[in-house]
Amino acid sequence: MLDRELVTEVLAAARRKGGDFAEVFVEERSSTSIRLDDGRVEELTTGLDRGAGVRVAQRTSYGYAYSNKLDRDALLEAAAAASAALRGDAPGTVVDLTDRFGPGTNRAGRAADTVAASDKVGWLREVDEVARGHSPEVTQVTGIYFDSLQRRLIAASDGRWIDEERPRIRLVAQVVAKRGDVIQTGWDGPAACAGVEFLDAHPPRVTAERAATRAVTMLESIPAPAGEMAVVVANGCGGVLFHEAVGHPLEADAVDKEASVYRALVGERCASELIDGVDDATIPNGWGSYDFDDEGEPAQRTELFRDGVLQGFLQDRLRAAKIGVQPTGNGRRESYASPPIVRMTNTNILPGKEDPDQILRSTAHGIYVRGLGGGHVNPATGDFVFGVSEGYLIEDGHVTTPVRGANLIGRAIEVMSSVDVVGSDFETWEGVCGKDGQSAPVGSGSPTLRIAKITVGGTGA
Amino acid sequence: MPEIGALVRAAVEAADGDEQVEAYAEEGRQTEVSALRNEIEGMTFAESRGLGVRVIRDGQLGYAWAADPSEDEARETVWRARENAALSESDEHNGLPAAESFEAMPEIFREQSATVAADDKVRMALELEAYSVSRDPRVSKVDLAQVGDAVSRVAIASTTGVDVEYARTDAWAVVVTLAVDGDETQTGFSYAITRGLDALTWEPVADEAVERAVKMLGAVKPPTAKLPVVLDPFAASSFLGVLAGALNAEAVLKGRSLFADMVGRAVGSDAFTLVDDGRRLDGPGACPFDGEGVPSGRTELFTDGTLNGFLHDSYTARRAGDGQRSTGNAKRGGYRSTPGVGTSNFFVDPGELSYDQLLTKAEGGVLIMDVSGVHSGANPISGEFSVGATGLRFQGGATGEPLREMTIASTLPQMLAGIAGVGSDLRFFSSVGTPSILIGEMTLAGV
Repeated sequence: MLDRELVTEVLAAARRKGGDFAEVFVEERSSTSIRLDDGRVEELTTGLDRGAGVRVAQRTSYGYAYSNKLDRDALLEAAAAASAALRGDAPGTVVDLTDRFGPGTNRAGRAADTVAASDKVGWLREVDEVARGHSPEVTQVTGIYFDSLQRRLIAASDGRWIDEERPRIRLVAQVVAKRGDVIQTGWDGPAACAGVEFLDAHPPRVTAERAATRAVTMLESIPAPAGEMAVVVANGCGGVLFHEAVGHPLEADAVDKEASVYRALVGERCASELIDGVDDATIPNGWGSYDFDDEGEPAQRTELFRDGVLQGFLQDRLRAAKIGVQPTGNGRRESYASPPIVRMTNTNILPGKEDPDQILRSTAHGIYVRGLGGGHVNPATGDFVFGVSEGYLIEDGHVTTPVRGANLIGRAIEVMSSVDVVGSDFETWEGVCGKDGQSAPVGSGSPTLRIAKITVGGTGA
Repeated sequence: MPEIGALVRAAVEAADGDEQVEAYAEEGRQTEVSALRNEIEGMTFAESRGLGVRVIRDGQLGYAWAADPSEDEARETVWRARENAALSESDEHNGLPAAESFEAMPEIFREQSATVAADDKVRMALELEAYSVSRDPRVSKVDLAQVGDAVSRVAIASTTGVDVEYARTDAWAVVVTLAVDGDETQTGFSYAITRGLDALTWEPVADEAVERAVKMLGAVKPPTAKLPVVLDPFAASSFLGVLAGALNAEAVLKGRSLFADMVGRAVGSDAFTLVDDGRRLDGPGACPFDGEGVPSGRTELFTDGTLNGFLHDSYTARRAGDGQRSTGNAKRGGYRSTPGVGTSNFFVDPGELSYDQLLTKAEGGVLIMDVSGVHSGANPISGEFSVGATGLRFQGGATGEPLREMTIASTLPQMLAGIAGVGSDLRFFSSVGTPSILIGEMTLAGV
């Protein structure tokens, strides 16, 4: 995208006052999004984005400047702005820029730009037909198709030069069902860092069917009970909970600011001994996978919990250098318009031994959670809350009536310590995580697991 | 590099035959500085420009966008939007609004603030952090102390005669404090937004963030109870986004709003009046025209509890028929997306009661200071919500015991009908604003 001579010049300019390192991030991204709503393909949008950001870091301080112009003048101006905040006055060096190659984690089988837009439109029509065909109670269907190809170049004053392509694809179905005055919604949206071959394994009709089933099932729902009870979390959902309630406080920026409930607990048991947890950016074609993170560090699998004992934190370059450990490849950014921050990739609770059906059978009374609508955690206190988008009563070991309006509320350490059975099944869930105003594609996964006691908020008796 | 006005006009000139073309361009410069432990934590300078083009042919809509295009690339963007239009399905309600005259709003561009020097911003961030950690012995660190400002310009031109431009400045300060007592940590958030950093008094922001954290120290999980509740402006504003989603005419027309059949009905209590007013200068969402060039205006969505109607852009107005006009609420997330219905300054009309009077009316109840999980725990389609909450008990004329790990579950209509009083302390958070609100009775679920 840019030649090495120019990048070297920009890096040198960025280090005019020294600093620990300077870095240039250049990005070109083409994207297609198609939206079907109300029975019609409403909108087809294509975008071309490009820009570059220059960062200069000193300890955990940084200056960052970006522009969407890629000419020499604009880049040198960004370098000058990024280094303005630095207090030093001795220029730093720039090592010869040398290619680093990754394993090719996210190769696309069939690139999205080789497929006609009319085929992509066809997938959405299929979503609409299948969802409406599911039940006459389905009153509205939204289908969204999205693909993008991001090409990025990362170069830094220590000589790293990385050129990586990331293809992304997602197909979302959102269904509204209505019976009398009751309106309920259902959602499904598989996603990957892959080409359109991903939709062979996750066909649009399956996505549509799942979303429609959820919406129609929830029409039967009764208000959720409130109070403390056992909650069985279905495979896939537990990963969302783990990401939000545990993963965020394990990000090194929260730890560095002493704003993490886990900050002094490495080596301590602070989850049930049944919990093994990892953050893994190396899963081929995973929604949160890559070869190198957005600072140019190699992707890795980072062990977070082994038998419930906290193993360590997720690091970026700045935080790792400060405390003298290796970066874990978790420096990510939304685009050239944002500096990298510490983020998760694919965050999973690993499968255990129990038969998932047996977990339900052995639960006398509680809630079975099959869909979480997302959540929020305060990393400093560990307090979290999750909306339950699909939940059911468990009565005498059987999954019975669906419930609505439930949420799960608790504190990360207490709730993770209260997990008393972990299933052998494993499922993933793809989402978009927001932090510091930046969004990032993240994967999560888990087996079925049971929390012996947690507060459920609901409106029922 | 073409001016954005020239860029949008060049794009519109590439219109072919009787198709409609609209070009939207924006450019902006933004600076953010945050301080930590008496050092600069991060300083970000942003400079961006982009163009988005809508083409409508025979009722078919296509969109394309490009970052920092030349005039040639602007014309190519029109071609791509035209190709995209060919693949979408025709909708008779698609169409661009005709040009209308509007009154300029020079007040939202503050010349002095566009020229605040970077060194002054750095100094302000450092002072903000130093001040925040000096107010209370239990608050010796921050999670975030940041100041930022932005200068932005927007230009829109279309084949229907729209040719408009405006400029604005914004500035803000954000503080998140950490209060520590033994093993316990609590956080406190505060925020202020105004037209320029030179017009921003940041001390109250720090003071409030300190106070909000310290008051929560020692929080316990309360027993479940039905109590009177006061939502302070922080907590109340969290619900306004859900309300905005349900009052969006697109959601209504597509069967995705619980309010669809409630126009003319007394949904809320008579203390509840809800307004969207893009011309209100003290709101951060002030702008002379919306994302498709329609003049901003004032829309009263609820008057004394009665639902009057919904927020419209030109598409939903045309589709609703019955002489409905756009309310000037076409909003854009930026040049990368088509306009859709959104809010400008969306606020609960303040009442007469002071904050203290409101609390007195809630004797024996709880002041809710923060709700979490609203984006996932509230459903604008069914109106049901279930959220986490923290707050303070209120007894004998003063706030007392802090409470955590509570949940509030209800429905939007129930909550609006239960409003027993509205404070005079209106405060804006980004484009939504609200005073403190007293709800006669709500279930707080705890132990």
